[in-house]
Amino acid sequence: MAVTDMQKLTVIGLNSSRTPFLHELMRLGVVEINSQEGVVNDEEWMPDIFRTSNSADVSRLEADIARVSVALDAINRYDTGKKPLIHTRKEIKRNVFVDHMNATKTATEMNVDHAVESNKKIADARTEINRLRTVIQGLQPWETLDVPMEMTETAHACLVLGTVNAKTNGAQLQTDVLAALPSAVINEIGADKQQKYFSFICWKDEKDQLYEALRPYGFVSVTLGETKGTPAELIQSYEEQITALEQEIQEEEQKLAALSVAKQDIEYLYDSLCMRRDRAKVVGDMLSTETVFYFDGWMPKWSREKVENLLKKYEFYYNIEEPDPDEEVPILLHNNGVVTAFEGVTSMYSLPARHDIDPTAILAPFYFIFFGLMLSDAAYGIILSVGCAIILKKYKLEGTMYRMFKMFFYCGISTFIWGALFGGWFGDFFTVAARTMFGVDFVINPIWFNPLEEPMKLLIFSLILGGIHIFVGMGVQAYMYIRDGHPLDALFDIGLWYLLLIGLVMFGFGGSLMPSLVPVGKYMAIVGAVGILITGGRKKKGLGKITGGLGSLYGITSYLSDVLSYSRLLALGLATGVVAQVINTLGSLAGGGIVGSIVLIVVFLAGTVFNIAINALGAFVHSCRLQYVEFFGKFYTGGGREFRPFERKTKYVKILEEDVEDGR
Amino acid sequence: MVDSLLNGQVLALAGAAIAATLGGIGSALGVGVAGQAAAGVVSEDPNKFGQVLLLQALPGTQGIYGLLIAFIVMVKVGLLGGDGMLDLTVAQGASIFAASLPIGIVGLCSAIAQGKAAAAGVMLVGKRPSELAKGMLFAAMVETYAVLALLVSFLMLNSLQL
Repeated sequence: MAVTDMQKLTVIGLNSSRTPFLHELMRLGVVEINSQEGVVNDEEWMPDIFRTSNSADVSRLEADIARVSVALDAINRYDTGKKPLIHTRKEIKRNVFVDHMNATKTATEMNVDHAVESNKKIADARTEINRLRTVIQGLQPWETLDVPMEMTETAHACLVLGTVNAKTNGAQLQTDVLAALPSAVINEIGADKQQKYFSFICWKDEKDQLYEALRPYGFVSVTLGETKGTPAELIQSYEEQITALEQEIQEEEQKLAALSVAKQDIEYLYDSLCMRRDRAKVVGDMLSTETVFYFDGWMPKWSREKVENLLKKYEFYYNIEEPDPDEEVPILLHNNGVVTAFEGVTSMYSLPARHDIDPTAILAPFYFIFFGLMLSDAAYGIILSVGCAIILKKYKLEGTMYRMFKMFFYCGISTFIWGALFGGWFGDFFTVAARTMFGVDFVINPIWFNPLEEPMKLLIFSLILGGIHIFVGMGVQAYMYIRDGHPLDALFDIGLWYLLLIGLVMFGFGGSLMPSLVPVGKYMAIVGAVGILITGGRKKKGLGKITGGLGSLYGITSYLSDVLSYSRLLALGLATGVVAQVINTLGSLAGGGIVGSIVLIVVFLAGTVFNIAINALGAFVHSCRLQYVEFFGKFYTGGGREFRPFERKTKYVKILEEDVEDGR
Repeated sequence: MVDSLLNGQVLALAGAAIAATLGGIGSALGVGVAGQAAAGVVSEDPNKFGQVLLLQALPGTQGIYGLLIAFIVMVKVGLLGGDGMLDLTVAQGASIFAASLPIGIVGLCSAIAQGKAAAAGVMLVGKRPSELAKGMLFAAMVETYAVLALLVSFLMLNSLQL
């Protein structure tokens, strides 16, 4: 219904005008170019035709982009300026953009270099600080040792440093060593949880005896390395180095923060590089000979005139044709007005395959109803709609984000309507507030009924809505059967089920409306059931013809569970209402008076934010689920490939054409 | 001694306690499991915080459903917003206790299972950020049964006459 018709485009053009042509094609942004990978492996094509390989260009541009992106990240980290809540692309006219890029390019590239350099310096300094801290930690136990570390021996004496287990008796160790080497000097330098630290001075030729005496204590000797000075001096000098490095980091951070004025230019540069990269990349998807290039691809039917004009201008050979019936075609959804907002729901599941129906228009009204019914609070609906409206007004959103906010705007309206019908205004806040603050009785009466008092009524209503939803889904499947020329399938697989299900409902519940409905329903159900039994196995062979019918009829359980699944409409609606009541009741516990009123309002505000957040999430997820599982299960397969035109994929700027001014 | 404990009021409050406690335990465990996975993904890419937080929040609803039933019980027996607690017979108390069981038990188990599904969804988002909706849907499939249990508990309580 609303899948855009695509046409296949084949072009052969002159290499000499390829670059300007690609610029203009990118500007149009309506042609998807197929990759020619694999084609050149055909012997027939070789060796005169080759794929233009400019992967060197592409990777050079990729490297540039990565550098600019590092610079942007670094600047953003220290940019103290206010950041917008939602990222949007800045609109700029093309000639302004080009002029601006030409004027600032050199300076901007230097700024990028500076930012990258500062970023690297900061990272290096951090690494160095970490290293020094580790060294200091190793030195700390020796801090009180007053011997310079380069001195391990004199002419006759030597210094031995080492550790023993913390549990060792130090006095015993000293006595034992002195007994063996009466001339030795022993110092217990320090101790921590694991170890005790000792220094020994003895005659050089007694060194072996010292180790011998220490062996029972599990002594581990330690070498402190090649550095000079006493440990205390060393620690101090390292600390000074750390301070200096921290100073350096701060300076570099300031430099980065100062660069934030140039951030916009760097963002422009980023986008400009991305566009160049994309143009370079697409050349790799084309085939070339010495003088001409070839590509094929897809374009929407409505853009034909524009594309033809461009191709005629360059005097290229081209051919536009309709796709073969079984060819895979990229999918672009096209809906109008309100329905567009709900395209996100479809594309989150899967885009329709080429011959599928775009389900967006059919699911939109149901999504609208379900979401509102699950949140069902008039005040929450107003907050949701107004919030979305403000964001839509303030920010120029595009694409998926725009559609999402638009959808929640509509869903807010639905929430408001259902809330008013059920009498939910922040739950029962106004009643509670009037009683707590002013001691008055005040009730907002529901327009329809209060689901907390008559839940069965809403349950039945929910199940009826579900039944309608499922029937519509089956109807779409029937439509597709008939469209594809299988009217009998539509009759057997859908028509008979309609007969059976409607018959059963009339048989079961029709009696309360009109007694004569019961027998009619009974016969409808019997005809339907018998029909399904006979036709259910018609595509199978042998015994399958009989068992297939039984299997089909057994499918009635799935209809039962599908319909019951819509009871969540009631449950989630109740959840919102009751949680709101819990909040209001909690708030009113502090009683009346000024303090009580303040408590009520604080609890109310915090609770409301929480309730909206958690229940809007629930309503969103469960509305989706009802569409995807219960509704799509009846007719929709999906699996279409998204249409990805060759266009400007920019992140920060949106380039506007000025067709009038420069006459293009 | 036993008689003074095994009366209607105590049974009814035990029901409220079961609903709130089991639902809460389940949600705490579920949100915890999902949170661990979420932290792992955020450590790789801090920009995914918002997406994975949505997934982490999903198993939290069972606790709310439990609270909801506990609240309805308390209102029903007059503990909240009434003129003091009603006198309940043992049969009435036991009925309220029974009505609290579905959301308590199903809430506990489904929140844990949903937490695992949500954690898997977090991993999915870690690898394919565009598939957030599908990850959420897998977790929401589990929640269906908590919703049904909530409904049963609610309808039972609602049709109980005291």
